[in-house]
Amino acid sequence: MTRHLPVLAGAATAAMVVAGLMIFVYAPADALEGDVQRIFYLHVSTAIGAYVAFTTVAVGGILYLWRESRVADRIAVAAAEVGLLFTTITLVMGSLYGKAIWGTYWTWDARLTSTLVLWMMYAAYILVRRIATPGRQAARFAAVVGIIGALDIPVVHFSVNWWRTQHPQSVLTAPGGPALPAAMLITFFVTFAATLLLGLVLVLVRYRIEATGESVAITLEERQAA
Amino acid sequence: MAAAVARKDLRTELRSRELLPALGQFAILALLVANFAFDIDASNSARIAPGILWMVLVFAGLVAFGRTFSAERDQGSLEPLLLTPASRTAIFAGKAVAAALMLVACEAVLLPGLALFFNIPIFSVPLVATVLLATIGMAGLGCLFAALAAQTRARDLLLPVLAIPIWIPFIVAGGRAAQLAMGGGGGGSPNQALALLLDFDILFVVAASLTARFVLDD
Repeated sequence: MTRHLPVLAGAATAAMVVAGLMIFVYAPADALEGDVQRIFYLHVSTAIGAYVAFTTVAVGGILYLWRESRVADRIAVAAAEVGLLFTTITLVMGSLYGKAIWGTYWTWDARLTSTLVLWMMYAAYILVRRIATPGRQAARFAAVVGIIGALDIPVVHFSVNWWRTQHPQSVLTAPGGPALPAAMLITFFVTFAATLLLGLVLVLVRYRIEATGESVAITLEERQAA
Repeated sequence: MAAAVARKDLRTELRSRELLPALGQFAILALLVANFAFDIDASNSARIAPGILWMVLVFAGLVAFGRTFSAERDQGSLEPLLLTPASRTAIFAGKAVAAALMLVACEAVLLPGLALFFNIPIFSVPLVATVLLATIGMAGLGCLFAALAAQTRARDLLLPVLAIPIWIPFIVAGGRAAQLAMGGGGGGSPNQALALLLDFDILFVVAASLTARFVLDD
């Protein structure tokens, strides 16, 4: 798949440009929230993308512990870094929306709290990889952190949900179908597809860096041995 | 086998008497700091005390759990321990039980201290249940990450960064239960929060025991 990387990268760029045009030109302004609502498209897309990345990290970790699969481990590292990026975008865009609509950058709502904890866990995952001895130890330790983290995030969300939540309820999964006009819905799905494509490209690029780094390390070891 | 490891850890501690006095003193010192930092009086102590309780629990937990594996590492006794025929899960379970008991000993100083200094009816069954239930799950997860951190270069740095985000469910449910047990938090029964803590204990103790052998294996 890394062989088609230039093509995929071009497609991701084009899709992002189209999504940007749709967000600012094609989609109508929200009746109540005005232009601020346009944050929704990329905010929700990167949030879902972050959860996809997070799930990938956990599945990669399980596969690594089960089969010692190098491929699974490299995908997990790549997904963790892309996930951290997406979570950062989600948090920054979300606080801008919060400032405009709620009057505050931050509130301890269930979704906000679990997203912040998600960010801290990705950051810890990446820190573990940096601090642990590279190779088997780093991969194993990171896999454990990824798996426990995947269990923790839904539990955090659930436990914070006790308090009344201020975050807008999901308009996509509302009972009786999506509560959005067609133009907004199409814009959202285009943005979402563009975001996932961009995430995939970034994961593949990062995967290649990881694989190259490993082969360089092996070559160096062989030279030292010789 | 797990019991033997736990007994060994507890006996080491009873003979050296290093960690327990330090944890007890830490609990009292934290209350001293909190008193001046928060400007506590009779009207606000019920609202602030649960927060102080949790701050002290989290940081005392980090010290207690961090010690269990870093002490073995310092004395070079972790590898011999892993070479014994005991399973990794049993070694992990034993050390987690011993560490949990150390934290319980710290709580035995912390709760009366809170009662004494902040004039709060602390000897309530829900409050003691909250603290003990939270200790179980926090010890399971805390020791898992302490075992991991102890084998890396920057162990003291890594443990808080790993453990605190993972402990959030315990802090959320336990914080709520402590607020209700101390008569704050808008009133109501802490039973739901306690049931939730028990669920988290089961989930994370199982998860920690299943993954422990990968952390202790090398």
